[in-house]
Amino acid sequence: MKGLWLGLMTIRESILKGTLLFFFFFGNAIILLFAFAISSQTEGETFAVTFFGNPIPPPPAGTIGPVEFILYQLFQTSTQSAMFLGIFATAGLIPSMLEKGTVELYLSKPISRIEILLSRSLGACAGIGVNLLYFALGIWLVFGLKAGVWHGGFLLATLASTVVFTFYYSLVAFTALVSRSSGFAIMLAFIYSFFSGALEMREMSLFQLWDNVVYHRFLDAIYYCTPQLSAMMESSARLIAAFPIPPMMTEPGEFTAMPFLFSFLSACLFYGSAAWYFSRQDY
Amino acid sequence: MPNIRIFQLFCQVDFRNYSHFCLLPFLPFIFFVSSLSMNHVEVTNLSKTYRTGIFRKRQIQALVNVSLTVSQGEIFGLLGPNGAGKTTLIKILLGIVHPTSGDASLLGENHASVPLRRRVGYLPENHRYPSFLSARDTLLHFGRLHGIPREQLSQRTESLIETVGLKDWAKVKIKRFSKGMLQRLGLAQALLSDPEILFLDEPTDGVDPLGRKEIRDILKALRDQRKTIFLNSHMLSEVEEISDRVAILNKGEVLRTGTIRDITGTNLGHDIELQEPVTEELLRSLRVILPDIEGSGTRLAIATADKSALNAIVDKIRETGFHIESLGARKSKLEDYFIKLIKEDETS
Repeated sequence: MKGLWLGLMTIRESILKGTLLFFFFFGNAIILLFAFAISSQTEGETFAVTFFGNPIPPPPAGTIGPVEFILYQLFQTSTQSAMFLGIFATAGLIPSMLEKGTVELYLSKPISRIEILLSRSLGACAGIGVNLLYFALGIWLVFGLKAGVWHGGFLLATLASTVVFTFYYSLVAFTALVSRSSGFAIMLAFIYSFFSGALEMREMSLFQLWDNVVYHRFLDAIYYCTPQLSAMMESSARLIAAFPIPPMMTEPGEFTAMPFLFSFLSACLFYGSAAWYFSRQDY
Repeated sequence: MPNIRIFQLFCQVDFRNYSHFCLLPFLPFIFFVSSLSMNHVEVTNLSKTYRTGIFRKRQIQALVNVSLTVSQGEIFGLLGPNGAGKTTLIKILLGIVHPTSGDASLLGENHASVPLRRRVGYLPENHRYPSFLSARDTLLHFGRLHGIPREQLSQRTESLIETVGLKDWAKVKIKRFSKGMLQRLGLAQALLSDPEILFLDEPTDGVDPLGRKEIRDILKALRDQRKTIFLNSHMLSEVEEISDRVAILNKGEVLRTGTIRDITGTNLGHDIELQEPVTEELLRSLRVILPDIEGSGTRLAIATADKSALNAIVDKIRETGFHIESLGARKSKLEDYFIKLIKEDETS
C-alpha cells in the first residue's frame, strides 16, 4: 500500500511539473478537432469517411483503409510525442528524489529501498500511460461515434506503447539513479532512441561499418540487453494495420511478442541493477 | 537487547535439575525489569569510511570506533564541530548510510531493519519537502509512507499542525514557507508516527527565539512521556538546557560522554568582587599565598578550587583593609568546555 501511495504521489508530481499537463491539453485539443472534423457519408453502397467534409484520400500504399491510415498516423504521432515529452516529464523524478534533504525523508520511512525505486519508476510510467490511454480512448470514441469505425487495434496498440514506455524507462531510471542527473538521463534516452532503429537493422547498417565478428556479437549483445524500442513500436503499430506503411513498416507482418519479451527481460535487468545499486549506496 | 540476552541466559538453564524450575514464575518479572532499563540506542565500535574520487581511492574517516548508549526517556545531545560525523552517525542509525564496521541497535533491534522505522521519527538537516504540497498534504503524504491508517493519520495531522503552530498555514503550499515554518513542519513530520525514539538534526535551525522555546517545550513534554530524543545541534546553550546527557564528537571520535553536570560541574576557581578597586600591593600580597591570581577593576579571579587556600586569601584581603562585596565559584559553561575540548583535541 505504501508503494502504491508513493506511485500515486509520483503521478501527481509529474502532472504538476507541467509537461504532462501540456500533453493532456494538447491531446484534448486533437480529440476535439477530430470530434468536429470527422464524419461518415454513405452514398448508395459506398461508405466514405470525411474530414471537414472532404473525403479522406487513400493512403500511398493503397493496401490499407483510409481510417486505419489516419489511426496509424495518430498512433505514431501520439506515441512519439508521449515518449519525447514523457522522458522530459519523468527523467527528473528519480534525481529529485535523491536530492539531499529529500532522500533522507524517504529512506527513514518503513518502506524498502527497492519498493521506493520501483514505485517511483512505475508511478512515472503510469502517469504517461494514463495520458496516452486517455487520448487513445478519446480518439477511439470519436471515430466510433462519428465515423462508425470501432477499431479495437488502435486501443491495443496504445496499451502496448505504454508497456514500451515502461521498458524504455528502465534505462532512464538506471541512468538517472547512477548519474543523479536528469539531463544526462534525458540525453542518453534520446541517443538510445535514435540508436535503437539502427541497432534493429544492424545487419544492414552497423555491421557494414566494420566486418569483425567481435564487433558484430557486441552489437548483438547490446541489442538483446537493452529495450528493443524500435522493434516494439513497429510490432505495436501492426495491431492497427498488418499491411506495410512506410517508413516505419517496410514489410507486411503480424504483431509479435518477441521484442516485448526480450525488452521485459532487459527491463528486469535494468530495474534489478538499479535496485541493487540503490540498496548499496550511502545518502 | 537485554531481553534477548536474558532469553539466551534462560536457554542455558539446565532443567534436568528440577530445582531450576523455580525460576519460571519470575520470568515475566525479569522481562519487565529488563525492558524498563533497556537502552534505546546502542552503538558499539561503529566506524565509517567514505571512499571518494574516480577510483574511490581517497578515504575519509567519518566515524572511528564510536560507542555510546542512550536510555529510554533520555534527551541525548550529540555535539561536535562541522564535519565531526554527527549526521553520519544519525544516518547510520537510521539505515541511510551503511557502516564500514561495528554494530548498532535501536529499540533492541538491528538498526537497519525496515519495519523498525515505524517506531522512529527523524527530522533531517536541510530537509526538502515536495514544494507543490500544502503543510497538511505533506504530513498526510509522509504519514501514508509510515503506514499510519487513514483515519488515525487525519486526526494526528490536525493535532500536530496545531502543536507546531501551523494551523493558519495548513492549506498553504509549502513553497511559501519560511525556514522556521519548514522546521516546524519537519518536527510535525518526525512526530507523525508517535515514535518511541526521535532523531532531530538541527531542529531549531532558522527558528526565531519564540519558536525555539516552543520546540524546547515540545521536546521536554516528549521526554515526560518517556520518549527518547537524540538531538544533534550547534546551539550549545539549548543542548545544555534540555539534554540529560551529551557526547562530544570530533573527527569521528567520541571525546567525552556524560551528563551536563559531569561535564560542566568542574569547579574552575572563584571570583571575588571587592568594594574597592584592586591594587598592585594587594595582588602582590595575595600572590604570596597563590601565584595564580588575576585582578582587574574591583574583581579578583582566583584559579583554585582549594578551600583552605581560598580562606587564606579571604583573610588576607580583610587583613589589608579591603571589603568583600561577593564571592562565587566559577563553573564552566557547556560552550566553554566544548571549545576547550575541541582545541585540545586539535593540538594533540
